[in-house]
Amino acid sequence: MEKILEVKDLAVSFKTFFGEVEAVRGISFEVGKKETVAIVGESGCGKSVTANSIMQLLPMPPAFFKNGEILFNGENLLSKSEKEMQNIRGNHIAMIFQDPMTSLNPTMKVGKQIVEGLIKHHGLKHHDAKKKAIEMLDLVAVPQPEKRIEQYPHEFSGGMRQRVMIALAMISDPQLLIADEPTTALDVTVQAQILDLMKSLQERLDMSIILITHDLGVVADTSDKVVVMYAGQIVEQGLTDEIFKETAHPYTQKLLASVPRLDMNRDEALLSIEGTPPDLYIPPKGCAFYDRCDKAMKICKDNMPGFTEHSATHASRCWLNHPMAKTNEGSGI
Amino acid sequence: MQEPLISVKNLKKHFDVGKDAVLKAVDGISFDIYPGETFGLVGESGCGKSTAGRTLIRLYDPTDGEVIFNGKNIFTLSRNQMSEVRRNFQMIFQDPYASLNPRMTVLDIISEPLEIHQIYKSKKEMKARVIELLELVGLNDEHAMRFPHEFSGGQRQRIGIARALALNPKFIVCDEPISALDVSIQAQVVNLLKDLQEKLGLTYMFIAHDLSMVRYISDRVGVMYLGHMMELAESEELYDNPLHPYTKALLSAIPIPNPDIQRSRQRIILEGDVPSPINPKEGCRFVDRCSYAIDKCRNVTPEFEEVRPGHFAACHRIGEI
Repeated sequence: MEKILEVKDLAVSFKTFFGEVEAVRGISFEVGKKETVAIVGESGCGKSVTANSIMQLLPMPPAFFKNGEILFNGENLLSKSEKEMQNIRGNHIAMIFQDPMTSLNPTMKVGKQIVEGLIKHHGLKHHDAKKKAIEMLDLVAVPQPEKRIEQYPHEFSGGMRQRVMIALAMISDPQLLIADEPTTALDVTVQAQILDLMKSLQERLDMSIILITHDLGVVADTSDKVVVMYAGQIVEQGLTDEIFKETAHPYTQKLLASVPRLDMNRDEALLSIEGTPPDLYIPPKGCAFYDRCDKAMKICKDNMPGFTEHSATHASRCWLNHPMAKTNEGSGI
Repeated sequence: MQEPLISVKNLKKHFDVGKDAVLKAVDGISFDIYPGETFGLVGESGCGKSTAGRTLIRLYDPTDGEVIFNGKNIFTLSRNQMSEVRRNFQMIFQDPYASLNPRMTVLDIISEPLEIHQIYKSKKEMKARVIELLELVGLNDEHAMRFPHEFSGGQRQRIGIARALALNPKFIVCDEPISALDVSIQAQVVNLLKDLQEKLGLTYMFIAHDLSMVRYISDRVGVMYLGHMMELAESEELYDNPLHPYTKALLSAIPIPNPDIQRSRQRIILEGDVPSPINPKEGCRFVDRCSYAIDKCRNVTPEFEEVRPGHFAACHRIGEI
């Protein structure tokens, strides 16, 4: 498959008063054309930092890139100037965020916010820009777009605001859409609408999507590939089916077992992961999940496990899955 | 048949929001809560589930209706009588950051209800009780002198639970107690709530928008939409045989974390958004988004009736669809 984006050994840190926080610690993954890659993990695992690194939206300082490269169509984004990045951001990679209210300017009419971008980035005349804005709102199924562009964001519901954000992102036919928890703030029925909209746009516009979420249901619904992050690292990645059915890493296993499912028996115990993720001021030397893992061994404490490949597309970072490990008991392989 | 612990009858809570505008957050809901059970209340934002929970324990003054507890309508009690009854009702809030005073130590936070109700004469006894409570929720005496900012979200929610348990309540309203927490931490808090229920014989009202979690924790579940109760049944029954078109759509919208099931599922996508609860029209509240709506639905508000034993629903077309 044609690759759109390749993240290679990316490491991002933040300088703070108390020392360096290693938010992302050497991650690599690829996004193919028309593919949806989900990045899952808990708060603080580095998934949003990863997304913002691709867009280069991190405040620098305190953030800085320690290592790695981000190749978009073969070109390293980390070596681009701010001006070049602006062009890429507007035209080739687009991003939508969790909270559609804070992403829209509350003092500007919705239409004007769309028109502004069209005039600035595409050099359209005002009249044409307005026509295009109506077209875009129509594309994301906002009813009565001619009327709606004259309204302010507070007159839109949460779901409608997210549609406006998607319309803004779609203006220049981006090759890649980064959606950072796009439906977390929305109700389930509205979430279903937005996910459907994203899928149909992907189909029509041949777009790749990076979907950042903590909702494993949303992952099962939309993604082709899954990247599971924990404490700034990727602990497992693979095709969606591989992640859900041949789960290899204890963290992923526990994550899946800790969500109640509608098809689950109510008497089944809900697994909880005791403790909390490690502090990334002083990242652990060994496996980051060591403290919370009930399968942890001596080696896990001080030695970082490497990736074990289970198939061409599926790999996990766990000593239990190492070919030299004595047993694979409980590893799911 | 068991006696209900709390019996809610035609509960209404309206807010005046300007000239001739009334926001009918809760508009006539009735249900019973039995001792030792978990009653789940679900619905989308703005459906009135939180207002219902708060009005029920008289944190808001009700517009109409009654709540019977121990044979008395708590809405008619005087201030003094109410303060006595209120010891039986507690609440756990959604946001573990906003619901704990950042300038109070954990000891002060948990002993506040004990002080207000003057349970203990000496400070020493009170401190011993606080430590007992901390241990009950999986923390320990070391934590007593710390401030909320020193704790993670899950730990803060434990502090909120300890505070709610301080007065040995019978009934706790849990208003989205886990929505602000990470998945792995959610399970910790839910398991804790279940354990405590068993140990202390608590009765919960569990308000949430996460339907899979509500199904897991609740014995019976009520579904609200725009201030009305749409359907109520035992949790397995509700999820296996939903009768109301809204419940059906709501359940089909939840993505299941299993790719095979999720890909093959037929989803009912609802058009549009939840309408405004300000000056709602007569008729079924769901009518504008319902694909089964007929003229009658626009004009006559459907009665909330027992369709099968223990399974209530409010829809004119229950028999036909």
